[in-house]
Amino acid sequence: MKPSTLKAILTDVHLWVPVAVLALGTALLMTLR
Amino acid sequence: MNDSISAPARSTLSLHKLGVFCGLAAAVWLGSAEAPTKLVNVCFSPFIISMGMVMGAFVARWTVPTLLKGTGFLFDDLRKKPHLIVWALLAGMLWAVANTLTIFAVRNVGLAIAFPLWNTNSLVGLFWGWLLFKELRGSGVKGWAKVLGGAFAIVGGAGVLALATAQQSSNTPGRAAIGIMAALGAGVLLGTMYIPYRKAYISGMNPLSFVTIFTFGELGTVFLLTAINLGGVGQVVAELHRARPMLFWPFLGGFCWVIGDLFQNFAAKYIGIGRGIPLSNTNQLWGLAWGALVFAELSGLSPTGKLLVITGSTVMILGAIAISMAAPKDSELANWKFAMDRECDRYGLNKQHVAAVVAGDDPLSGQARGTRWWEVLIMCCAVGVFVWLAIGTRAQQINVNMPWLIALSLATIVPLGVCGTLLYRRTRFS
Repeated sequence: MKPSTLKAILTDVHLWVPVAVLALGTALLMTLR
Repeated sequence: MNDSISAPARSTLSLHKLGVFCGLAAAVWLGSAEAPTKLVNVCFSPFIISMGMVMGAFVARWTVPTLLKGTGFLFDDLRKKPHLIVWALLAGMLWAVANTLTIFAVRNVGLAIAFPLWNTNSLVGLFWGWLLFKELRGSGVKGWAKVLGGAFAIVGGAGVLALATAQQSSNTPGRAAIGIMAALGAGVLLGTMYIPYRKAYISGMNPLSFVTIFTFGELGTVFLLTAINLGGVGQVVAELHRARPMLFWPFLGGFCWVIGDLFQNFAAKYIGIGRGIPLSNTNQLWGLAWGALVFAELSGLSPTGKLLVITGSTVMILGAIAISMAAPKDSELANWKFAMDRECDRYGLNKQHVAAVVAGDDPLSGQARGTRWWEVLIMCCAVGVFVWLAIGTRAQQINVNMPWLIALSLATIVPLGVCGTLLYRRTRFS
């Protein structure tokens, strides 16, 4: 993957919204266990 | 022979109508996916049943795209948009965590409370569609009223149906808060899962390529979570071995799930997540139909319960009708194009090519393709797995109404044929 593509991915809000929700969801799951 | 010469001429069906048909067909298949799992003996862990469904889905998610488009097309599609592999894996992981949360929710507060809470995923998806992909912007008050009203009606109808039909309830009130948090969490995760869906489709990715990668994120995470919950990988393997005589049923459910999921993805592509997801969330109606008519699960329902079922179903159907009639106006479509251009600029995609794919006219879809030996191998392996599981399979002793079983099976297969044909004629599955 080109560095410019990687940079575009890492600075994309479309990435960090799902990542943040996934992290919170996983944390919730671990807490509920 | 060139496929573009031998194939019938393209249909001129509007993409909105096509998307609506896909959303409704998705509901039929997602609802029907629950039916095979009813034949699984209750003594198995819900994690193992879920794992079985995901394994069946994994097999189907490789074979159906291979059958329809061939591996050459799929790999070519992924090579041109490699950045979307990240989002496809992410979506699979979101689904897996959400699905595990739903198990906790049902255990702690019962289906009646849990289902409407996680069914709010369509509202979460609608919000992300508006915020991140400019869906519904420029649609006017009428458009907003139809889509938002329809989505709320479907969630409300789901709530009424769940109340009327739930057999379970929490007998440990102290754990209610945990169940509610789990159900709400699942709703947020599932609603957020549609961000990768929409991003992929406005970037010109084929839904069949997307689900092929999605399934790795899904299976990997489900396996990990099941291992954590059951106490290790060895325990998962032992449980799967113990469940072997029943495993055919969740596999079959997983296969039905994939058909529904594919239609849902095509709906998300052609009418957006704000409209497509609420429509496919009417799957509860079909799950109810299977439970009530084939498995007689509502035979002891009180008159009030029956009234609630009729009310919930009617509200849900009205919501689906409202969304079906909310075709996007040109002003909204201009916003959709703006969102598409953003992806093209950011990731260096060819705007003309992406616009053609988004409009259902993938220039590559008419290309001739031969069947490769490994595609035949994939098919044989998939069929082999299902045949191997079917041999010696056992089902829970359960009364089945055969005339309704045949009628609902036909009602499930007909939308597959109709919608599959519409998709092929209009888009060649692009």
